[in-house]
Amino acid sequence: MGQNNKTQKPLVNSIDELFAFIDIHENKNISFHHHLRNGDGVINYVLNKYLQEEIMDLNLFPSSIFPAYTKILELIENHQINDITTNYCNGGVAKYISQHGLPGTLTMQTHGGRARSIQEGISKIDIAFIAAPYVNIYGDAIGYDGKSSFGSMGYAIVDSEYAKITVLVTDHLVENQIENPEILGSNVDYILKVDSIGDNTGIVSGTTEVTKNPIGVKIAKNTSKLLFELGLIKNGFSFQSGAGGVSLRVTKDLRDIMIRQNIKASFFSGGITKYHVEMLEEGLVETLYDVQCFDLEAVHSLKRNKNHVPISASMYANPVDPMQVIKDLDIVILGATEIDLNFNVNVTTDSHQTIIGGSGGHSDTASEAKVSVIVSPLLKGRLSVIKDRVTTITTLGKNIDCLVTERGIAINPLRQDLINKLKDSNLKICTIQELSELAYQYTNKPKDIIKRERIIGEIEDRTHDIIDYLYQK
Amino acid sequence: MSRSYLFIPGNTPNMVQNLDIFESDAVIIDFEDSVMSYDKDAARILIQNFLQKFPLQEGTIYIRINDVENSHFEADILATRDLKIAGYVLPKASVEAIDKLNQLSSGLSIIPIIESPIALLESKQIATSKNVIGLLFGAEDYTKEMGIERTLEAKELLYPRSHIAVVCRAYNIEAIDTPYTAKDDDAGLQQDAMNAKALGFTAKALIHPNQVDTINRIFAPSPEEILQAKRILKKSEELQKGAFSLDGKMIDLPIIEKAKKVLEKAQKYGL
Repeated sequence: MGQNNKTQKPLVNSIDELFAFIDIHENKNISFHHHLRNGDGVINYVLNKYLQEEIMDLNLFPSSIFPAYTKILELIENHQINDITTNYCNGGVAKYISQHGLPGTLTMQTHGGRARSIQEGISKIDIAFIAAPYVNIYGDAIGYDGKSSFGSMGYAIVDSEYAKITVLVTDHLVENQIENPEILGSNVDYILKVDSIGDNTGIVSGTTEVTKNPIGVKIAKNTSKLLFELGLIKNGFSFQSGAGGVSLRVTKDLRDIMIRQNIKASFFSGGITKYHVEMLEEGLVETLYDVQCFDLEAVHSLKRNKNHVPISASMYANPVDPMQVIKDLDIVILGATEIDLNFNVNVTTDSHQTIIGGSGGHSDTASEAKVSVIVSPLLKGRLSVIKDRVTTITTLGKNIDCLVTERGIAINPLRQDLINKLKDSNLKICTIQELSELAYQYTNKPKDIIKRERIIGEIEDRTHDIIDYLYQK
Repeated sequence: MSRSYLFIPGNTPNMVQNLDIFESDAVIIDFEDSVMSYDKDAARILIQNFLQKFPLQEGTIYIRINDVENSHFEADILATRDLKIAGYVLPKASVEAIDKLNQLSSGLSIIPIIESPIALLESKQIATSKNVIGLLFGAEDYTKEMGIERTLEAKELLYPRSHIAVVCRAYNIEAIDTPYTAKDDDAGLQQDAMNAKALGFTAKALIHPNQVDTINRIFAPSPEEILQAKRILKKSEELQKGAFSLDGKMIDLPIIEKAKKVLEKAQKYGL
């Protein structure tokens, strides 16, 4: 569509002005994205209006909840929220819900499952409030330019397409055309101009540096050896790792192998860091498919490198999206708070049932990748990472192929093909039961403390199946 | 015969419980400098309990006890001499201190640390003392006592290193080089270890587990050395002669013996 065919979108300069056009009492299913993470300034700004107006019976659909989203907690404490549907929850909101629950339900989806659910009309969003750092007057937007640029807008795209009302919230409005916008103006209803949408240095959350911890280094070394022995590191392979220190160390070790063996990967996907960017610029990987940027180096790369491609959450991981990137994924490296003897993985709660995270793309990528690898210390403090049964199932064991620890590697018995490939390996391959017993030699077996009286939430897989429940602490 | 000797603080449970996973050929559990005096009894109790419950591979665990002048010297030995350990690393070594240690430790191996000018001068007597299986060079204390600055280039260490390596080779015991203290500088570590190996050191002590791979690689025979050793021994067996020519070079008994040692090491390290 040429510029001449585009129409300017209604522009408002405050949240009060916006609600002169929209009935705040009639549109109570509201969504946000989390790309600015702890630097987000939009969620609290918008929700403050709902607090002031004392709007009841709200249903929230934030793609993730970070500790900085304090107005969500205030709304919950005021009993203004019924249901929350999200992919990840951490901080005060998580702690409160773990202890008290919600009047309704907390539904923990996956990134791909969220996109699917919105597309299929299961999650019905009335208003999508989308923080956007670079917007033109026609409502087109990108995330990798402007003073508050945060990179890919992957999680907001499906919201913009399917919400009844889409509001772009921006601190950088231009009149020019935007080439290849991530958010299309045709899906936008209002532009809300504010002084600041947040602090983009806040997009760095958690560990985004390669670990130097010797246990982590050892696990990463075992992992790269495993992947190499399985014959997975070859020209054209595809790979995804999180931003955790061990995952990034695996990425670094793979880089060394790739340089030594003159191997080039086809694509890396998911959350992107400076380490992935470096490998793109070194010519070790052809394309980065970026659904979220984990640091500002990734944001800058997205702006300058055409082989660094922003993608939507649907294109990333929606199982019914024909363009789904991760269906071609060879390897994914994932973390675990707990894993059990059936290879079920928990990254949602700690062992005391407090919500500390959520699937994000964990279950999506584990389901689709040809080989999914969990990297974790066998001993975490005084506890074994392996349980008889995880506190909460985030990802089903049938989708987890390998567990790599500092003391050995367990392969899921469902993957006899992998076990056969490793039968002459020098790596320490054992069963998950053997690893568990080894851990208990150091820790002994702790008493089961899980309370399962009141359900406060559910874990919804990307298939829409409820695979586990969250219980009040 | 070990390539790497990794120091682990004796009072740190999460390091102690993982001491067997870092792939160091030997581990030195430290009761000395890394343990404050108020924590030394706790370290002894921790290590006693740990090694009683988790006996580790024979010949791999040494304990650096406190020096002979220290009030903990005797308690360190009495608390550990019946555990499954290979022996002791003795700081501020002297012939008299080794005698005292031998009286208490009932035949365990001893690795004295040469860390003073006087110990360097006495290194021949120290090396030939009972139960001594190697000398460890302690550059930090040595440079302190010499009143000189320790540098990463280590030119100031050339003489003591050369001296210790010669003494160890003369008496056929292990020559263990001082740790490289810049723990994140892998290129520097590599150069430092190669320098030590070139002078005749057979192993290196280290202070961080992430240094193990580099040290093990440098102090192991290279693939080229292993191949050449195999060729020498094959030809020696074929010809049944004490001297012969290979690739235009003369091969005699010392070279054949060296080749045997290379293969012995290679086998030990699974190369």
